[in-house]
Amino acid sequence: MNSRSRYVWAYVMIAPTLLGTVLFWSWPAVYSIYLSFLKSENFGLINHWVGFANYEKLFHDREFWQNLRNTLYYTVLFVPLTLVFSTFFAVLLNSKIRGLSAYRVIFFLPQVTMPAAAAMVWVVLFARDYGFINYLLGTHVAWISDSRFAMFALVIVGVWGAIGLNMLLILAGLQGIPRSLYEAAELDGAVGFRKFRYITLPLLTPTLFFTTVVLMIGATQIFDSIYLLIGKTNVALPSVRSLVYAYYQNSFVYYDQNYGAAIVDILLVINLILTGIQFAFQKKWVNYD
Amino acid sequence: MAKSQAVAARSRSNWIIHLVLIAASVVMIVPFIWMILTSFKTVTEATQIPVKIFPANPDWSSYAKAFEKSDFGHYYLNTIFAAFMKTLFPVIFSSMAAYAFARIKFPGRTLLFFIIISVMMVPNPVFYTPQYLLMSNWGLVNTVTALWICSLVSPFATFLLRQFFIGISQELEEAAILDGCNPFQTFRYIMLPLVKSALVAIVIIQLLWSWNELQWPLIINSSPDKLTLSSGLSTLVSMFSTNYPILMAGAIMAVIPMIVLFFLFQKRFIEGVAFSAHKG
Amino acid sequence: MAIRKKALMSAMSLTVVSAMALTGCGNNNDNSASGNSASPASSSNSSDTKAADSSKKDVTLTYTIWDQLQQPAMEAIAKEFTAENPNIKVKVEVIPWGDYWTKMSAAAPAGTLPDVFWMHSGQFVKYASGNFLEPITDKVESGEIDMNNYAAGTGSIYVLDGQNYAVPKDFDTIGLAYNKELFDQAGIPYPDDTWDYAKLAEVAKQLSQPDKGIYGFAAKMDTQGGYWNDMLANGGYIVSEDGTKSGYDDPASIEALKARYQMILDGASPTHQQMTDTDSTEMFKSGKLAMIFEGDWRTADIDGSDIIHGKWNWAPLPKGTAKRGNIINGLGNTMSASGKHKDEAWQFLKFLGSKRAAEITAEMGAAIPAYKDTQSAWVKSKPELNLQVFIDQTVDATAYPAGSKAYPVWFPKESEIMAQAWGGNISIEEGAKQVAAMMNQAIADNK
Repeated sequence: MNSRSRYVWAYVMIAPTLLGTVLFWSWPAVYSIYLSFLKSENFGLINHWVGFANYEKLFHDREFWQNLRNTLYYTVLFVPLTLVFSTFFAVLLNSKIRGLSAYRVIFFLPQVTMPAAAAMVWVVLFARDYGFINYLLGTHVAWISDSRFAMFALVIVGVWGAIGLNMLLILAGLQGIPRSLYEAAELDGAVGFRKFRYITLPLLTPTLFFTTVVLMIGATQIFDSIYLLIGKTNVALPSVRSLVYAYYQNSFVYYDQNYGAAIVDILLVINLILTGIQFAFQKKWVNYD
Repeated sequence: MAKSQAVAARSRSNWIIHLVLIAASVVMIVPFIWMILTSFKTVTEATQIPVKIFPANPDWSSYAKAFEKSDFGHYYLNTIFAAFMKTLFPVIFSSMAAYAFARIKFPGRTLLFFIIISVMMVPNPVFYTPQYLLMSNWGLVNTVTALWICSLVSPFATFLLRQFFIGISQELEEAAILDGCNPFQTFRYIMLPLVKSALVAIVIIQLLWSWNELQWPLIINSSPDKLTLSSGLSTLVSMFSTNYPILMAGAIMAVIPMIVLFFLFQKRFIEGVAFSAHKG
Repeated sequence: MAIRKKALMSAMSLTVVSAMALTGCGNNNDNSASGNSASPASSSNSSDTKAADSSKKDVTLTYTIWDQLQQPAMEAIAKEFTAENPNIKVKVEVIPWGDYWTKMSAAAPAGTLPDVFWMHSGQFVKYASGNFLEPITDKVESGEIDMNNYAAGTGSIYVLDGQNYAVPKDFDTIGLAYNKELFDQAGIPYPDDTWDYAKLAEVAKQLSQPDKGIYGFAAKMDTQGGYWNDMLANGGYIVSEDGTKSGYDDPASIEALKARYQMILDGASPTHQQMTDTDSTEMFKSGKLAMIFEGDWRTADIDGSDIIHGKWNWAPLPKGTAKRGNIINGLGNTMSASGKHKDEAWQFLKFLGSKRAAEITAEMGAAIPAYKDTQSAWVKSKPELNLQVFIDQTVDATAYPAGSKAYPVWFPKESEIMAQAWGGNISIEEGAKQVAAMMNQAIADNK
């Protein structure tokens, strides 16, 4: 078969994916940037070019900075906590104990649970007067309607949902570390935490690094749990409102899809920076052997 | 004696590990238990002070009310249909494209591949407004078609499968070419069976994502008979605000199918999701 | 090679499938979508001609409402309409109030608004001025429908630039619901029309037993069913009469807001956080609240609770220092300008505005019908409750602050700002001033 006809086959085989991607994904991404330079009226049927006006408004909008801060704050709380817990449980599960698969299933359960449904039950668990969490702890905290605690409530829900998968990824990383290294270290007298610090952790960095970036990208897009856990008339909303939530409100509730587009375009920039960091640093930090 | 001491120490530490893991397991499943318990309470019991853990008489009526007041039949149908479409087509299209990108050297390959994977760096919300406008132009707003049509192709699955095709040895393929197979036949009969586990993983994650997705169905559809389970749940919240037994009954009905599937195919689920996260 | 033929077949079928999937985008087979045109004007022409030659074909109309409590009554009306017009079926859909306008604003530019749907006076101008609603002026002029048939000025709400857009459906006012049992236990006489706000606050304090989770009054953060009535009663206003200025920063308005918030501070009302965890009307339904302001439309919902059934009643709102404040609002039924079956939709709209439809609405206790002389049937729908207060209060009532394109913009933002004040993050005065500034900005932006 000549290479010419092989090319034709190749083009035919990539055509659906290529066309679909351009039509449904690439073009919308570009169009979203275009939208942020417009101002529309009458539910988007009439548009005017306004240049950077939406961005100017954005940068002078205290609420936007607050939303950006909330998004980053959520990310810096959620990611390390998820990593620490996931690593902790992965190390425990790696100690050749019985019942591994049962624990795996239980920890993984939140991963297959619809976030909307999960958020709804957490509302009940977190309630101040009749919530199970306050009942257990003997506290009387308005977890989701007190500005001081709402962010922690969101982080708890996020970590609860994320541990299962990340623990498995880290467990897979741990199982890739050759036993012989530990045996050698034991001969040198290394025990317990020192083994973890000097063998496990360095060899686990590729996995941890990868997990961190994926978690960060996911965390910057938090929406579902704010929408259903916190809600519109909650006094704590300003202290947890994320960029994506503000995008949804502005685009579909306040009838300003252009301002909404400007907000998500900022999110796009953040994500590109995160991806850039991933590429730039993975060689430096990560111990690929 | 030293040996038996070590064994004793080991079993003691195993006990501690089990205790910690069991405690953590309880924390993981409390929300599910609470969901079930609350759905059988009356409103008064659900908001009783001090907390009442078990309902006095299990009350099934919340399930009936949730079912009667919202269109769960359509929620199920729409969710299942959309999940099916969002799984079948990406799997077919992506595996073809991934094979071509991995195994055929054709002009423009790098550029075209870059065009496809570049959208993976874009957060999903960026797409929603333009996709909504596209649906609006096509007259598809508030239709079942709008739920899945934008997900006919999956750059992510294409990327993932390409990694797999690259890893397969040349020999089989060369034999097929010598036999006179064209690239599509080589793909369909020789290569595709070799990446079956990757395909299963993709089917599982596409199903899971599609089942749980909230924001897009929330934006694009409004009629009760065009909603999915997740956007239907959000409607239930708007309708019943803090009537928790009804909300929990709805939540259970929404999560049960996926959880049953998970228990049936737990190994494949866990491997599939972990695998795709790893390769992504 | 056998393998070859089979492969070719499957390659072909794949191409066919993918071709179908791609062209499927342009050819939409879904009945509920209304063609490719996003412009209401152009699609209205084509559908007019289509409707003309298909007027006797079987048609299903979608009728969208936001109150699931009224669904049975609306379905009863639709059933009777279909009995008279066997070729037209009507599907009643509920989109809850909290999502209704978000969904409608997504459907409007896409040309997928329902054939017939409920309209609210606050949202009306935005939809009418955008040409999303079908004018019914010619039907009014030709006498097919008589706007003088409707009470309480409801016939004039949905008129813009001389065009009529809606058939009045109902009107509503606000009342004071009280739990008779809690009053009896405390030996306090029930609220009546002599009450003023000072009396309300005093009794609310007496009836509160926070340790038992029982409160005298729900000083909830709510507009139409809440502080808007207080503001009016105290001599304040919500939007100035010419629609150019917010009244939230008017001293009388601020005073009224503070007085309401004071009831939370006094322990006479649950806190905003408590009312976020449990909806205040749910609290009333479970016997935890002695008094609450609510709209007449919640009657069936409250009375449906086994706990409170037979133990509650309605009273008029208390008098304020300036007057008796109350918000009256009238809902309308409108039809989409881009509907595919406009002739049939008009037939249904006309039926919705008929005396018969009003009687069904009244007898089922769904809402106070707008059609003249049918209100007494509604009052009698629950004879054990004093529903007459809602009719009597229309005399002093103020119209809902509607009539501008700005309302849909400021209304959702209002609750977000006031939540900050009600939750104690900012003072009431600060919250009111922020709302006023936001509203004035929205008014300026949406002339």
